[in-house]
Amino acid sequence: MVSLILRNLARVTLAFLVLIALTPILWTTLGAFKRLRDIVTPVPKLFFSPTLENFATILGSPTIRDGLVNSVIVVAVAVGLGAVLGIPAAHTLARHARRWGDDAQFFVLSLRFMPPVAIAIPFIVIYLDLGIYDSLGGLILVYLVTTISTVIWLAVPAFERVPREIEEAAAMEGCREAEVFWRFSLPIAAPSLFGALVFTFVLVWNELLLALTLAAQNATLPVVAASITSLGKEVPWGVINAATVVLVLPPLVFIGLLMGLINSMVRAGGPKKG
Amino acid sequence: MTRQRFIFLTLAPATLVLVTLALVSTGGALWFSVMNRALRSPDSEFVGAYNYLRLLRDKRFFNALEISAIWEVVTVAGTLIVAVLLAVLVHETVKRALWRNLICFAFLAPVLLPRVAAAFIWRFLYSPSLGLANWFAGLFGIGPIEFLADPKIALLSVAVVDIWQWGLFFTVILVKLLETLPQDPIEAAMLDNARTWEIHAFVTLPMLRGPIISLALVKAVESLRSFDLIFVMTGGGPGTATETLDLYAYQSGINLGGRISYASAMSILLLVVTTVAFTFIWRAGKKWSR
Repeated sequence: MVSLILRNLARVTLAFLVLIALTPILWTTLGAFKRLRDIVTPVPKLFFSPTLENFATILGSPTIRDGLVNSVIVVAVAVGLGAVLGIPAAHTLARHARRWGDDAQFFVLSLRFMPPVAIAIPFIVIYLDLGIYDSLGGLILVYLVTTISTVIWLAVPAFERVPREIEEAAAMEGCREAEVFWRFSLPIAAPSLFGALVFTFVLVWNELLLALTLAAQNATLPVVAASITSLGKEVPWGVINAATVVLVLPPLVFIGLLMGLINSMVRAGGPKKG
Repeated sequence: MTRQRFIFLTLAPATLVLVTLALVSTGGALWFSVMNRALRSPDSEFVGAYNYLRLLRDKRFFNALEISAIWEVVTVAGTLIVAVLLAVLVHETVKRALWRNLICFAFLAPVLLPRVAAAFIWRFLYSPSLGLANWFAGLFGIGPIEFLADPKIALLSVAVVDIWQWGLFFTVILVKLLETLPQDPIEAAMLDNARTWEIHAFVTLPMLRGPIISLALVKAVESLRSFDLIFVMTGGGPGTATETLDLYAYQSGINLGGRISYASAMSILLLVVTTVAFTFIWRAGKKWSR
């Protein structure tokens, strides 16, 4: 009897906690469809006549549209280059250069210790002197630190999981290293690699500090969103909510992939993160 | 193409880019920190350790150092405590795979949100006049609470958002790890009539010591990147109550006055402290998790 009460109590607690986890996101989504008078109420309104005005404002505003376009370009190029440079390097580290594996891993990880300000401050001066301040290329160059290091960090374990026998058999058949990599290792590791790229995408898509310091007119979406609050006198909560929803959607699409990444890492014997 | 050339061609470009960028930024920061460079004027001269000596007399710098340390401890500890408790709760109460997966999906959503978006979402919730949090507090006759404007609780209010994102994410990882544990020791403990909490405290969690330490390390590294959240939610205020080191470096180096050299000295100190601390913790963690 007591255990039954306890069990139900635990279930209620859990349901409550799931609610807490999701409420902030749902409430913001709801707010994105509200008019300002439905938001500024003493008692929160659950039912109201929805409007698309906020999204129209967002998508109609040239700054936000430019921010969206800039974000897409910067993130696509930075992640693309990160993949092209990082994935072959990760394969070599996992297969041909085991001696340097540990040192390389520590170097890559130590790039993540680096405070972003320590990158931003020297680069703003260098970019100003070189005249490439506020250019998409400059932003992409700095983002390569994040994308290449994250891709290598996550792709090395992915290649280590590729069965060695397959690669050895291919080498016996006379395949060269490049061929083994391209025709066998890459396709087999592809699902995990895709997860790694998605993780990298989310990191760069969400980045604020570097974009804030190294760009002015050509800012990315997070920078534009962060500056919305100062648009008018009254805080445009509806518009802010709509901007948040636009910002949130792309990463959220990948939730299933993140789950797959966690599953494969756990099955490989604990997270290989540390 | 020989084996040697293949190894060289695959490793060289990535290494070259990473090493160059890392050297340019640390070298640049070191160089600027011994000059008196300002953002607006390109002229500068050598001033030696002047910027570093000035830092040692800067009260705001020590305040930022303290805030950073508190932030680091609160978010890492909070995230791990939330993750461990929630993971055990999910593991014990939800047995059906479908429900468990649904809960995991729900818990993964917050960490995927851009920090800027998460910051806005919670600023909206925390708002004293129209936020959900204060309406809820009002139901119990408390409030209105100035979550972000009260210097005593502002840092904690921001930390809650960080823990909301990372604690739930780590919960999912721990739930998955609990599923992979071998059943024998757990069954042995059950035969000894151990209570559920005893099984977890003395059997399962010690078995997961290694992964939990790795998670703590990852979180400690990620907690250093608190800028986005704090910048959008409080901007370091009220006063300097939530001003961490990177925020202060940003404010003095780029936003106000553009004292590049002073901010460079600050980021060099930050770099040294974190590198030393993490190399130390890294070694200790590796030894301890064995």
